[in-house]
Amino acid sequence: MSYVEASGLAKKYGNATIFQDIHFSLRKGEFVTLLGPSGCGKSTLLRSLAGLTDIDAGCIRVDGEDITRAAPQKRGIGMVFQSYALFPNMSVEQNIAFGLKLQKLPGSEIARKVADVIRLVALSGKEQHYPHELSGGQRQRVALARALVVEPRILLLDEPLSALDARIRKSLREQIRDIQQRLGLTTVFVTHDQEEALTMSDRIFVMDQGRIVQEGSAEMIYTRPATEFVARFMGSYNLLTPTEASRLLQLETRGHLAIRPEAIQIFTPGQAYPAHLSAPLPATIRQHQLLGNVIRYQVQAHGITLQVDQLNRRAEDLLAAGTEVNLMIDQQQMREVH
Amino acid sequence: MRAELYHRSVVAVLILLLTVPVLATLLYSLSEHWGATILPDDLSLSWYLQLWQDSAFLAAFGRSLAVCLGTLLLATLIIVPAVFVVFYRFPGLDKLMNALILIPFAVPPVVTSVGLLNIYADGPLNITGTPWILVGCYFTIALPFMYRSLANSLASINVRDLMDAAHLLGASTPVAFLRVILPNLRKGLMASLFLAFSFLLGDFVFANLLAGSHYETLQVYLYNMRQTSGHFTSAIVMSYFLFTLFLTWLTARFSK
Repeated sequence: MSYVEASGLAKKYGNATIFQDIHFSLRKGEFVTLLGPSGCGKSTLLRSLAGLTDIDAGCIRVDGEDITRAAPQKRGIGMVFQSYALFPNMSVEQNIAFGLKLQKLPGSEIARKVADVIRLVALSGKEQHYPHELSGGQRQRVALARALVVEPRILLLDEPLSALDARIRKSLREQIRDIQQRLGLTTVFVTHDQEEALTMSDRIFVMDQGRIVQEGSAEMIYTRPATEFVARFMGSYNLLTPTEASRLLQLETRGHLAIRPEAIQIFTPGQAYPAHLSAPLPATIRQHQLLGNVIRYQVQAHGITLQVDQLNRRAEDLLAAGTEVNLMIDQQQMREVH
Repeated sequence: MRAELYHRSVVAVLILLLTVPVLATLLYSLSEHWGATILPDDLSLSWYLQLWQDSAFLAAFGRSLAVCLGTLLLATLIIVPAVFVVFYRFPGLDKLMNALILIPFAVPPVVTSVGLLNIYADGPLNITGTPWILVGCYFTIALPFMYRSLANSLASINVRDLMDAAHLLGASTPVAFLRVILPNLRKGLMASLFLAFSFLLGDFVFANLLAGSHYETLQVYLYNMRQTSGHFTSAIVMSYFLFTLFLTWLTARFSK
């Protein structure tokens, strides 16, 4: 039974279509990510769910109730903005209590709820601080607390981590996911960062040019991209044109052939390799990039450059540019995309 | 060393140029007589006592305050919501507003006054010689100060996101404006009000041409008193100067 249902959503500004033909349904407690490049319409779609942007067509239902034309105040939706949107004139405590005060709850109840949510986002001791006295990560946690304290039916997160540095981003996304699961909160997260989408989501909707081009679990989106766009967007996929595929692998394809960099193995000459794999493909190492636990090689075979990721096990295994190697490509991991 | 000496002397000369007239006026206003001697004969506050007991002066000062404060009240009530609407709903209008607010300064006051006299000297709205024409005219003078200052304050906060956040937390647009946006405009508003106030209080051209002796303001009173003792007019100038100095200090305080 779906908790949120959107059907036929469309939005235009003048002649420009922002999004169209959007259909999806969310289960209660599900964490869904709208993933796409900037300008694909994902943020506008999120704002439409919140009621901050009108839609031209379509219908949105939450728990069976049609909220398509409801005012933002009446939707029971909480939102966290990329810019935090904390009220600069209010302390942390006042920011969080804002929504509760508007609900005219008794003071003691407000104080209790505010204290609870401050503990939940680990901001104890910062109650009297003002937004400008907080770090980016702390501000975003205040924004999260402010959205959570009014107990929304759906939580919307509009690129909440993009303004933060890498380390904070990582810890905050774990925190967000943890809180979301603890509260069983239906959440829609917008991002252009594949890693964020893959690590946090139950399901991912990949958007391109105002449409949802693929939806599925993180695992599925990553390993089975449906289109060339998804394959390109999801990371460093090797995309071979039909001619290249035929030249390199003697495979006849109609669309592009997508091969993940980690689905290719490098064998140095003389190294034993499993017999069930295809015939080895001679290649030359062009250069390498150290990505921490992974080494990304640029390898050339038949004049085609491929990216190959290898686990960074031992420093002495590093292959220098010019080394002649054999490549093994697991046929099972290849995907034909259009 | 030489460069430092040069810099110090330039600053010293500048300070001297700026302060000597004020100090001389102050000294003149404090001296009973100042005739054939280099320094005044005897110092006293008698001119100030005479000035501050003069009912015509107090009335003129009161009229100036009434017109200026009335103007600023009207301006606050109209301009604050207007700037907010421009920033929140019609950001494209900001350019137009920036051009509009230049007009009061681009047109010389005498030209504006003649135009206003032509329009308001007879029916249907005969307000020449009344404080109302001054309030209307001063409004246009206060507009650039207030618009720019409020626009800067609004540009420094993310109006749209703040309003959206407040809406989603259950606030109506007026509540969101009053509780979230307005408190952030307080500094900019106060600074521009003090600035506009000291500017308007010093206006002579409009006050003289549009209202004149029908509604004698502080500057018109000062002008009418030019034939009396120089000590007395010096006391007027110093009183006015100290008052504006105080306002400038307040402006600086609120701009911080």
